[in-house]
Amino acid sequence: MEIVKVLLKQLFQTPATNKFPTKYAPKSTIQFLDKVKRGELKLTPPIAVPPGFRGKISFNREKCTGCQLCIKVCPTKAIEFIPEEKKVKIFVARCCFCAQCNDICPVDALSMTDEFMLSSYDKYADELVVTK
Amino acid sequence: MSLNAIKRALWIYHINTGSCNGCDIEILAALTPRYDLERFGMMLVGSPRHADVLLVTGPVARQMAPRLKRVYAQTPDPKVVIVVGSCGLEGGVFYESYNLVGPVDQHIPVDVYVPGCPPRPEAIIEAVAKAWVKLEKAEQQVV
Repeated sequence: MEIVKVLLKQLFQTPATNKFPTKYAPKSTIQFLDKVKRGELKLTPPIAVPPGFRGKISFNREKCTGCQLCIKVCPTKAIEFIPEEKKVKIFVARCCFCAQCNDICPVDALSMTDEFMLSSYDKYADELVVTK
Repeated sequence: MSLNAIKRALWIYHINTGSCNGCDIEILAALTPRYDLERFGMMLVGSPRHADVLLVTGPVARQMAPRLKRVYAQTPDPKVVIVVGSCGLEGGVFYESYNLVGPVDQHIPVDVYVPGCPPRPEAIIEAVAKAWVKLEKAEQQVV
């Protein structure tokens, strides 16, 4: 009798799979992405990130004082100092998402966002070099 | 030239060139039922000779460099190389190690980069979609 209960329960359960970005591979990915851009199709959103997730870094240029503490603490040397402007530049390709720079920054100019879809054809692309 | 043979079901060969296994676990997670990459026809294969996509994780350790080149040469054309994880892109936390011989793109041509330490499985799926776009564009140019 126990198995009937389980069977009935499983009959009405939805699958665990998160169908990101779509259920099956489209015939043409370029056309599919065009349709998404025009709003004709909707993508299944990715699984929500947990609270406190460390995604792509964001930098508040106005707040930065150029103290270079983040450069000292960065374990991957992902942060570069621009002496002319006394600001920093962060290479996301190098970043290990440890958020130590966020903790040490005295003016809270650095913070982590929820953005994690970062793949690109070029590792020094504009969206992977955080300057502002 | 038509790329139909490789466009539909990309077979993946995963090579670890000295990674800490974090990215390897995320690749595995992308294949589990929660993300289920196999619904796109993707499958991890045991030999580079069967593969269309090389998934490279890890900074390139000195011992791995000739092996990486050999695996790349063994993969039949047309092929796509996806680098997963910050180590493969720039060295990541191992950047100053005496035993590394540079990031992956110093040894083999790379098509798509996935930053993250480790990247989430969705980011890897997005990279595969970008590889598809690249293949389709290449096909349009040839035809």
